[in-house]
Amino acid sequence: MIEVTHIIGHVTIQDMGRSGVAHLGVSSGGALDKHALMLANRLVANPDNTTALELSSGEIQLSFDNDTWVALCGAEYDAKIAKRPLWNGWRAKVNKGEQLTIRGPKKGMLGYLAVAGGIDGERVLNGYGTDLRAQFGGHHGRHLQTGDKLVQMKASPPSFSRPVGAVQRANDGILRALPGPELALFSEPSRKAFWHSSWQISPQRDRMGVRLSGATLTSQTEVNLRSHGVMPGVIQVPPSGEPIVLLADAQTTGGYPRIASVIEADLWKLAQTRTGVPIRFTHVSPSQAEDANYEWQQYFYRLSRAMDAS
Amino acid sequence: MALDPIIYPLGERGLVLDPTPSSPINVGLQRKLCWVAEQLRSSKTILDVVPGMNNLTLFVAQPDQLKVIQQQLETLWRNAKQHQFHAREITIPVTYGGQFGPDLDNVAKYHQLTTNEVIALHCQAQYQVYFIGFQPGFAYLEGLVAKLHTPRHSQPRLEVAAGSVGIGGEQTGIYPSQSPGGWQIIGRTDSQLFNHTSAAPCLLQPGDIVTFEPTRDTPS
Repeated sequence: MIEVTHIIGHVTIQDMGRSGVAHLGVSSGGALDKHALMLANRLVANPDNTTALELSSGEIQLSFDNDTWVALCGAEYDAKIAKRPLWNGWRAKVNKGEQLTIRGPKKGMLGYLAVAGGIDGERVLNGYGTDLRAQFGGHHGRHLQTGDKLVQMKASPPSFSRPVGAVQRANDGILRALPGPELALFSEPSRKAFWHSSWQISPQRDRMGVRLSGATLTSQTEVNLRSHGVMPGVIQVPPSGEPIVLLADAQTTGGYPRIASVIEADLWKLAQTRTGVPIRFTHVSPSQAEDANYEWQQYFYRLSRAMDAS
Repeated sequence: MALDPIIYPLGERGLVLDPTPSSPINVGLQRKLCWVAEQLRSSKTILDVVPGMNNLTLFVAQPDQLKVIQQQLETLWRNAKQHQFHAREITIPVTYGGQFGPDLDNVAKYHQLTTNEVIALHCQAQYQVYFIGFQPGFAYLEGLVAKLHTPRHSQPRLEVAAGSVGIGGEQTGIYPSQSPGGWQIIGRTDSQLFNHTSAAPCLLQPGDIVTFEPTRDTPS
C-alpha cells in the first residue's frame, strides 16, 4: 500500500488512454505526456499501459509499506526517497516505511511516477485513467487527496537490482503538424501566420486543450461546419481566431474548422510547455509523421538495449 | 466515384467520411452512416468510429493501415444500407421553469409566446437521436421546431446542472453531467443520461425517438 501523507496540487492516476468509447461521448483521456509515462513504466519493467501518477505543480509525499521500485519521468522535480535524491528520468528503490517526497517542477509541466506493478484504480470503459469531468476512473474519478491509500498491484520480482537512468528527449518547442481539412479555407496571411509565426500558450489550458495566443486567424469565407469527430492533437480555430490544440481529455466531437493536427510524436511537447513560452508549428507530410514515430521507437529500443546491458 | 473527395484524412490515424457537406441534414444519410459505423466497429484495426452530424470519423490502430482502411470504407459506403434501428421510443420527464429552468421566461419572451406555449411546443415534437458526442451520453437531437430556435447566451454559465434541458440555436438537448454551458436552460430531468457502471452507459442511442413530457412539478 502507498499512503498519500501530504499533497498540494493536482495529481491523478493515468494510463495510455481509452479506445472504442468515443461514440459514447467518452474522451480517450490518459496521460498528457504518454512518452514520459511509457519511459517511467519501462524503467520499472511495467507494461507500457500500466497506471502511474501524473503530477502537476505542487508537492506530494508518499509513504510505502513494502520494498519496491519507482521511476520519475517527464518534468524536472526535486525528489527524495528518505534523504536520497531520486533523479529525473531514473528508477530507484524505496524501502519499506520510507517516504518519497516530490516538489516542483523546476522545468516542464508534468511528471510521471511509476511504481513496479502499477497502482490499482477503477477500471471504467476500457481504461483506468481518471476522467475528472465525468468523475470516473483512477481513484474515485478525482484528484488524489491527503490520506488516500493507494493499492500497489503485484509486480513480478524485479529482474534488476540497480538504479538506472535514461536521457529524456529535449523539448525544442517545435511541433510538427499535418495540414487539416479546413486549412485551405483560411486567408493566406492567416495560413502564413499559423506556420511561420510563434505562438504562446495562454493561461486557458487544462487536460482538454490549450488555447494559443499570437496572430488572429481568419477564414476567407464564413465556415459553418457540422459537428464531426475530433481527437487529441487536432487544432481547432473558434470564431475568436485563437487556435485551440486538443489534448487527452478533449470532447469527442466538435464543430470548429480544423486547421492542422499536431503529430502524436510531438504532442507531449505542448503538454510540457509552460504558459507564456513560445512554440512554433512546422508543416510535415504523413511520411515525415511516420518517421517521427519511428524516432520514438528507436529511442525506446535503445533504452531497452541499454537497460539489458546495465 | 464523385469528383469531390468524400473521404479525407484527419491527422495520422483519422479518416473522415463526409458525403454531402453542403446538403441539408437528413436522417436517411445518418442511417447509412450508422450502418457503416456498425460494420467498422467489429474491426480490430480500428480504434474508434465516431458518427457526427451526417458524417463519420474513424481512427485506425496503426497509421500505416490508413490506405487499406480507406479502400474498405469506400467499398462499405458504396454498399451502405440504411441501418435498421430498433427505433426505441424514450420519454424524458422534464420539470420546466422555476429554479430548474431559469431561462424558460427568456425563451418565451424572445418568441413572444407564453411559457405554457413553449412547453407545449417542446413536448409535442418527436426528436431523433443523430449521434452521441461532446460529453459522455450527450445526444444530438434533431427536430426542434423553428418557433423555438433561440440564440445561446453570449456569456456561457460556468455551471449547468446535470439533467438540464436546454435550447441552443436550432438544437435542443440534455446535459448528462454538470458542466459549463451556453444554452438556454428551460427545465431539468431526473433521468440519468450516462452511467459509467452500466453495460450500455448511454440512456440514448442513435436512432432513438425522444419525446419530452412535463412532470407534475412543472408550474402551470
